[in-house]
Amino acid sequence: MAAKILPVVKLATKVTIAGGAIYVAYDSGLLGGGEEGSVALARAKAAVPPAVEEWMKYFGFELPATPKIEFSPLDAWNSGVQKSIHALSVAPSTMSDYSKQGLQYLKDLSK
Amino acid sequence: MSEKELGQKWDRCLADCAVKIGTGLGVGIVFSVVFFKRRTLPITFCTGLGLGMAYSNCQNDFKSHYVLHSTIAK
Repeated sequence: MAAKILPVVKLATKVTIAGGAIYVAYDSGLLGGGEEGSVALARAKAAVPPAVEEWMKYFGFELPATPKIEFSPLDAWNSGVQKSIHALSVAPSTMSDYSKQGLQYLKDLSK
Repeated sequence: MSEKELGQKWDRCLADCAVKIGTGLGVGIVFSVVFFKRRTLPITFCTGLGLGMAYSNCQNDFKSHYVLHSTIAK
């Protein structure tokens, strides 16, 4: 009797665990639209540092502080294009200045 | 679509992509351990599902600016 019930109980347990994982994902809004996904990510980002601190206190050791990086990919994304176009736009005046300096240098040399 | 709105859409899209891929990975790991004896197939399949869902959401989000939205008058 028990030998017959055990596989059914095992299968039911597995289905419950897998179904529970999918339900938790659905209930947290992780499987919804783009807005819900970004809200869920913001919530996770807010919840991670206090959780890490709690676990560190529980285990009794400290993690080294995360190094702060000054570089921001969001701001630097277009920087290559911006610098190239800026260089192109000031190129005539820059060339003119260099030419004048060169001519002045040659004049000074010929004196 | 303004530059600012486009940037916000991209931000939302990338955040959603990260969430969906992570969720797919997590659910895939659960399925792999519970049903498939720790094979990698469910993990890759569910991660791919998450990536596909994120792609579809992004596509709809970018298209929504140009699609005519209508409401049914009751």
